Amino acid sequence: MEDFERQLRNALAPKEPPPSFEANVFAAIAAQRYARRVFWRWAAAIAAMILLATGLGVRHQREVRERASGEAAKARLQLALKITVTQLSRIQQTVQTSTEE
Amino acid sequence: MNFAELLRANQAMVFSLAYHFLRDRGAAEEVAQDVFLRLYRRMDDLKDARHAIFWLRKVTSRRSIDYARKRGSRFTIALEDTAEPAALDQLGDPLLNRRLRQLIATLPEKPRMVMVLRYQEDLTPEEISGVLEMPVRTVKSHLQRSLAMLREKIERSMGDIR
Repeated sequence: MEDFERQLRNALAPKEPPPSFEANVFAAIAAQRYARRVFWRWAAAIAAMILLATGLGVRHQREVRERASGEAAKARLQLALKITVTQLSRIQQTVQTSTEE
Repeated sequence: MNFAELLRANQAMVFSLAYHFLRDRGAAEEVAQDVFLRLYRRMDDLKDARHAIFWLRKVTSRRSIDYARKRGSRFTIALEDTAEPAALDQLGDPLLNRRLRQLIATLPEKPRMVMVLRYQEDLTPEEISGVLEMPVRTVKSHLQRSLAMLREKIERSMGDIR
């Protein structure tokens, strides 16, 4: 049994990898680092674009809201002036009628 | 403990584990390279060189088994089977060595990896149990069954040659 086990150890003796193995591992690490750097650069650029677009969108919405509320205030003021003018004309008519009498 | 030192000290061990399991130099190189890339990313989690070696054996075993599963039954002829390096001839009978490697390759995945860890790395059943995350009893049973099968087949095939 011991002889057979020795034979198995011989058969499965460690083997050296190809001479280029170490250099290939370092090259793969460098390639992976480069790919990761490129990925993060793109990710940062995309994040900046999203932030910018969101900021512009928020600003635009605020402007639209302000314009709308301005328009509403203007309409309210116009209505109030209209009512006032109507009321004043009535009062003027009443005063005129009573003066003539 | 730095990565370059670990790579230099353990590349033969990692490559050989994958090679003896897969019997394909290209595949073994691919697996070994992947294992070292993973090691590079995990360097901060490893406490010392012993822990790193344990981790390397574990990950190489797992990756080799995964590779063999993905490859399926596709058979490739190992360079070793076409020509035996001269240096190995000193290690016993080259014909017997080659036959043994061929027979080991016919074992199912887990028993094959148990045999490679036992006879390439000289690990005890307890250590193999830790690497492959299987009970010691299972490791011992794989070893006994594989040894009996290999002995029987090698005796039969060497008898045929004689």
